[in-house]
Amino acid sequence: MEEEKKFVGGWGKGNKMGERRPEDICWKERWVDVGSAVRLLDLSAMSQMQRSFSIDLPSLRLPSRRETHLWYILPDEVKSTSLLKRYSQLLSQTEKDRVDQMRGDELKKNALLARTLVRTTIARYQTNEAVDPRSLMFKKNMYGKPELDWQNCNVQPLHFNISHTDSLIACGVTVHVPVGIDVEDKERKIKHDVLTFAKRFYSADEVNCLATILDPEAQRKEFIKLWTLKEAYVKALGKGFSAAPFNTFTIQSNPGGYNLCKTSEITANPLEETKKCNGGWKFALLELADSHYAAVCTEDDQADEGAPMRVIVRKTIPFVEDQLILKEYFCN
Amino acid sequence: MATSLSSSISMQARVSATTTRFCLHKPTSIFNNGKANLSFTLQRPIPARLAISCAVKQETVEKVSEIVKKQLSLAEDQKVTAGTKFTELGADSLDTVEIVMGLEEEFGITMAEERAKEIATVQHAAELIEELIQQKTA
Repeated sequence: MEEEKKFVGGWGKGNKMGERRPEDICWKERWVDVGSAVRLLDLSAMSQMQRSFSIDLPSLRLPSRRETHLWYILPDEVKSTSLLKRYSQLLSQTEKDRVDQMRGDELKKNALLARTLVRTTIARYQTNEAVDPRSLMFKKNMYGKPELDWQNCNVQPLHFNISHTDSLIACGVTVHVPVGIDVEDKERKIKHDVLTFAKRFYSADEVNCLATILDPEAQRKEFIKLWTLKEAYVKALGKGFSAAPFNTFTIQSNPGGYNLCKTSEITANPLEETKKCNGGWKFALLELADSHYAAVCTEDDQADEGAPMRVIVRKTIPFVEDQLILKEYFCN
Repeated sequence: MATSLSSSISMQARVSATTTRFCLHKPTSIFNNGKANLSFTLQRPIPARLAISCAVKQETVEKVSEIVKKQLSLAEDQKVTAGTKFTELGADSLDTVEIVMGLEEEFGITMAEERAKEIATVQHAAELIEELIQQKTA
């Protein structure tokens, strides 16, 4: 498709994502997304502010059905004080206050990066005009889960969820269904005995599964993987901790992937737990940056039941660069 | 002489059989014509769990702070007070659960997971601990 200089907004299809556009003075692209839509901009019609956001925050194709986009930042890669200052200008006053409350420079920086990741990523998915990340508004659902207040700020209704550790901050984005993500350092040491911890908080089946792993290191790793999967589910559910205490459901590990089994309390024989493992939720477990486990959980759309989840992972430094890490299907 | 209200107050109230703690947010002293004791007569039954923010024992707050510092590997001189939020110290949900396990071991109590995960500050933890200890000894 040819670029027209006087074109006023809109979408076009083509393989142009990998090509540098003349306006892209500060944009570095290291990947080519074949077949994605390209945004044609009439920069002369935009304000200075919009132009700056259009250039520095290239827009993105929305996730399709069954797709989760997973973005992450490695705080160690963000060192520039001027860049961090630019990020802090994107935050609301409440967010800035929360960043200031964090104890210590590293925690402050990570809190800043987390809000920056959420605002800049969501702003890039807007299809009509360049959206100022500052203009996004957020609310909480009745259980306290943060959500995009899309009705009040005229933006696409996206679902998102964030998770972070000391060394990695991640944000998952979906369109049609709620999403929950959780990331953990693979080397994270548990201060209690793993089985003691599991017996206290996990389901009986999960404890039995962990108990069969004899090597302590392998057992610890499996424990961490289970933790991220369980957390991702509770966060996707979005109904608070009391809606799904960890010992009321099992994440079953199958050759093909992971499955959710809910323990029913209502049973004829009180000593027997009936389990329903018919899904309703999709899971993906990945390794990021060679250092972290990341779990993604999305609700199974009835029309898509059984279909695999596609996950597209990108590492990013907002306003600077994106790097495509992987595109993969995860089965249940 | 000023005395802590929580230890000098005597109550007469129509309450249900379960023990109820009734205390004010900050320890203050009240004098009634030079007399340091007061009696309260409550007009209606108090529910078993009274939702008033209580003055917890300083000792409990200190023990909780110690456990939190240990779990999060904080420096000894890192300031942790009753009002400190776990998230401000960099605690995530796994840390919070481990802190709860540490508190359960230290105080000999068991916390329901939902309540445990909702603990946001040292004060909350201390209040929950004292409530559970009370229930245990009641």
